[in-house]
Amino acid sequence: MLIESLGGDLMGTIPLGDIVLYLNPLHIFLFVTILVFTALIAMSRTETQVEAMFGSLDENKVAVGKKEFKHRRFLAIICGIATAGAMITGDLFNFTLFMALIGIVNIGIVSAVKQVEVLNSAYQYGLIAMMCGLPLFGGAAMILAATGTLSLIELATIPASPMMIFCALVMLIGVCGESGIAPFFASKAEMFRTPGSPFILIIHLSSLFIIVRFVEILLTIL
Amino acid sequence: MPRIAKLWNKLANPKNIPRLFALILGLLLIAGFLIPIGLESDQLYTRPAPQSQMDAGLAIAPYDRGGEILESPGITEAQYPENSENLGWINSYMTPIAEALKGISPYFGTSICASPGGVIDEILYYTRGFDTILESSILMMAFIIASWLAINFTMDRKEEKGKGDIKEDVKRAIASSDRIASEVEESNRKARAKQAKKEFR
Repeated sequence: MLIESLGGDLMGTIPLGDIVLYLNPLHIFLFVTILVFTALIAMSRTETQVEAMFGSLDENKVAVGKKEFKHRRFLAIICGIATAGAMITGDLFNFTLFMALIGIVNIGIVSAVKQVEVLNSAYQYGLIAMMCGLPLFGGAAMILAATGTLSLIELATIPASPMMIFCALVMLIGVCGESGIAPFFASKAEMFRTPGSPFILIIHLSSLFIIVRFVEILLTIL
Repeated sequence: MPRIAKLWNKLANPKNIPRLFALILGLLLIAGFLIPIGLESDQLYTRPAPQSQMDAGLAIAPYDRGGEILESPGITEAQYPENSENLGWINSYMTPIAEALKGISPYFGTSICASPGGVIDEILYYTRGFDTILESSILMMAFIIASWLAINFTMDRKEEKGKGDIKEDVKRAIASSDRIASEVEESNRKARAKQAKKEFR
């Protein structure tokens, strides 16, 4: 399928050597949206969870300390920028690298939490993210072997062979695991159950955007 | 139906997720053996055939990319040559030390001791430089997270400030058990007094 037919007319490219970022209305929309959300997250303060105590009228506040706040905000901004980069990238391998960056930063955002269950599920997600290295980079490498190029603009013109379809499936498994969509949602969903709402939200938002972009990439190269 | 419900419930436990993922990935990779391998011979990022440079007796054997230092560019292909104007010049470059070593040792290409320009991959640092930046930033994020955790000791999360010392903990435990014992005794005495009052009536 041609690039133009999916995301609208090609509006321009940003050449960085062999890695050419290309812009069309869909990409620009996703890119600007995620940057706006990142800016909002960078400006906002964290929520404080208030738990009612059992058997009394007291309440238990789970707040985020200042150090933890700074650490998480930094990683959340990096996560937003990485997601924004993945939205406009025009290179398959570059996309997988952005995906890996988002995965590790997601673990980092919850790593400073003091709830044991959250840390345990973050550990389980970390195991998946580690395993995802194989399908993500392996899939991209096999597509390079099958077609001889990694540029999405070139891949769009090459007709799909059985091997390319298999590689795309392998990459899809990798993206599914790394972004934690069903049936792999449980470990990532448990990670959200902690105070520090806006920074936790970027974990969710980045996976949503990545899935949208990856579906577009799949339709482009196959 | 109940079986499916049980399966869904198992999926809700984070512990089972990596296992499920590994299983699905393994099945897909095994299924990959059935796929006919269609390799493209016209590759963008080529390497010379194994041992061909060794057999030809080149001084920087597995990494010789041709060209003369500062005179002519080496052999590099790019997807978009119009974006990389100085293509091949990095591959052909070597530092003076490397140049001297190249004359002495026939095995220089296999070492990284003098880091010659010819061995540094032009693809990594020029045509696909953005990927290298991203790779190192992934590493940097990993180090930031690890060092933040190491400095702030969030792993030792059940301890409050100043509660780290075992001796102090033991003292505190003894004091609190003493207090509890005295409280129990107190309440016992009160209860006994009440009982005695009731009986007296």
